Amino acid sequence: MALTAETLDQLQGEPGWLRERRQNALAAYETLQLPSKTDEEWRRTDVSRFNAAEYSKLEHLDGLKLERPSGLPAGVILKPLREAAKDHPDLVEPRLFSLVHADRDRFAALHAAFFTGGTFLYVPDGVEFDQPVLGQHFSHAGGNSVLPHTLIVAGRGARFNYLDEYIAEDDTEAGYRSGSTEIFVGEGSQVGYVAVQKWGRNVWHFADQRAELQKDSNLRLFNVTLGGKFSKTRVEASLAGEGSNAELKAIYFASGEQFFDFHTLQDHRVGNTRSDLLFKGALQDVARTVYAGLIKIEKHAARSDAYQANRNLVLSDKAKATSIPMLEIDNNDVRCTHGATVGPVDPEHLFYLRSRGIPETTAKRMLIQGFFGDVLDRIPFEHARKLVEAELEARIG
Amino acid sequence: MADFEIKDLRASVEGRQILKGVSLAISMGEVHAVMGPNGSGKSTLSHTLMGHPGYTVDGGSVLFKGQNVLELEPDERARLGMFLAFQYPVVVPGISMANFLRTALNSKRGYDGKDKSKQVTPKEFRSMMKSELEVLHMDDSFLPRYINDGFSGGEKKRAEILQMAMLKPEIAILDETDSGLDIDSIKFVAEAVNRMRGPELGILIITHYTRVLEFIKPDYVHVLVDGKFVLSGGPEVAERLENTGYAEWGHAEEEPKEVA
Ligand SMILES: Nc1ncnc2c1ncn2[C@@H]1O[C@H](COP(=O)(O)OP(=O)(O)OP(=O)(O)O)[C@@H](O)[C@H]1O
Ligand SMILES: [Mg+2]
Repeated sequence: MALTAETLDQLQGEPGWLRERRQNALAAYETLQLPSKTDEEWRRTDVSRFNAAEYSKLEHLDGLKLERPSGLPAGVILKPLREAAKDHPDLVEPRLFSLVHADRDRFAALHAAFFTGGTFLYVPDGVEFDQPVLGQHFSHAGGNSVLPHTLIVAGRGARFNYLDEYIAEDDTEAGYRSGSTEIFVGEGSQVGYVAVQKWGRNVWHFADQRAELQKDSNLRLFNVTLGGKFSKTRVEASLAGEGSNAELKAIYFASGEQFFDFHTLQDHRVGNTRSDLLFKGALQDVARTVYAGLIKIEKHAARSDAYQANRNLVLSDKAKATSIPMLEIDNNDVRCTHGATVGPVDPEHLFYLRSRGIPETTAKRMLIQGFFGDVLDRIPFEHARKLVEAELEARIG
Repeated sequence: MADFEIKDLRASVEGRQILKGVSLAISMGEVHAVMGPNGSGKSTLSHTLMGHPGYTVDGGSVLFKGQNVLELEPDERARLGMFLAFQYPVVVPGISMANFLRTALNSKRGYDGKDKSKQVTPKEFRSMMKSELEVLHMDDSFLPRYINDGFSGGEKKRAEILQMAMLKPEIAILDETDSGLDIDSIKFVAEAVNRMRGPELGILIITHYTRVLEFIKPDYVHVLVDGKFVLSGGPEVAERLENTGYAEWGHAEEEPKEVA
């Protein structure tokens, strides 16, 4: 069995427009080629052994757990995405897959055709709340596809935080996973978004997280990647309104035979925009990671300010991190800074700690925690910070 | 036999032999000063004693508490009772001074996260710290800061002595702790060290200046030239160096350089 039009029959009770959209995405999937090794984005990323047909059972239809903050203000809509597609087509239809395009590549198409559940959050103009919304996406078994999609719409001046947590009940499960997010950051709004990917260690994972920022808005996006034998994540911010500000941060910890690939885009489309990106990862065993990030300053984006850094702590001789920063600047009146580092624990740091009696394993753990310290401090809200600290702690050992 | 015995120690760095047979015996309660021109191997000695991985031991032994410490890991040496005050204390971003000190103290006591009775309590930690901070004229505002991060040269050196006071070693090696300190700071450091002096502590103090030796009076002074001791004696050796420098050992007269 393969992922085909029949597979779509598993998805009952959806409105016609959504069904049609899925069929178009499936058609795109069938015509798109597998990325070739000459394609720059996929040069170091081997997907040849990914066979979607092995995972044609779709799981987790609306099986997410949503934790609604108590006393959610009136007008806020928070519900499973498929339900929202039925109840609020006016809000969902024009936006769904308008940032994350279904025909971008085979994997985006597959996700758009077969996405199963995920969240819709709509926060109307002027509405603010402190307690974060928590969306937990579970996979209960291996051998299937679990493909949640989150759609977040922040009205003018809205302010809130949202957490997506992708959880495997069985860490050894094999399967096909995704977890994509579209965030519409309305004028003057402030959005904190955290995604924590903890799928099993044997899954294929593809994700697109893309935000569009309107005038004077502020996005703090934080990605945490821990799961998957293969994980490819694109994190993209499109700065579409003057005065908008995107903070894009990530932590990853790759061990065993894990392979993580990150592609980021800071697209400054108009002037007076700021973006600040920091991706920090640790690798051990024979893990490999690839980071490629593009800062794009478009022609009319004068007085923009972009920062990009990727730092890798390589904890074993056999682990390998590759970092590729890229700039594309069509305006001279801007400030861009970027940098990348790949290296082991500093032996002088280690010796200093050990010279005070701290055993090697403890000293290393402290140095790894210290490495992540500055970026952990940037997690936009407390609940997520605690969660991520605990997850890291468990992995650092 | 002395409590801490260095015998015919030979060590090299990047294939170059630096220590060419160093022997020195320290008994508890004693203060030994090591003086010598730049590049003579003083820090090589201090690092080799502490087990820095960049230094290769080519021969000799260092006996302390019945063990050849050259066979131990650096952290094992520290837990056995050795301490090195670094000539150039290392900046370690991401780890607070408080976390560092507390973990070091816990490690020294054998606390490995299990037996809570061995763990230093916050209260104990604060009270230990308090009196030492006073002597060193430091305040506790540096505790939440990252290890040595943004510390002035003098603050780093004082923080080294603070660590020594907290960890209570039995053999302390002070590698040019006085370099880069103003006269008042030298006095504070000397006072802190003198408070620790006693029958439970042997000190090896490496310096270029006789000034610090006026405050921390050595029992013995050794002159290291080109990886070997060329002269050992009492405090009068320091005075002699003050007047004649190292010229008599074929080393050009040189002004001690301020390096820290
Ligand atoms: N990591 C290293 N790599 C290369 N050479 C080194 C290293 N450490 C020390 N050396 C060399 O070993 C020799 C002795 O250095 P050492 O640091 O022991 O001198 P020192 O007596 O402490 O000098 P100073 O008074 O300047 O502190 C010098 O020639 C130095 O260049
Ligand atoms: Mg030196």
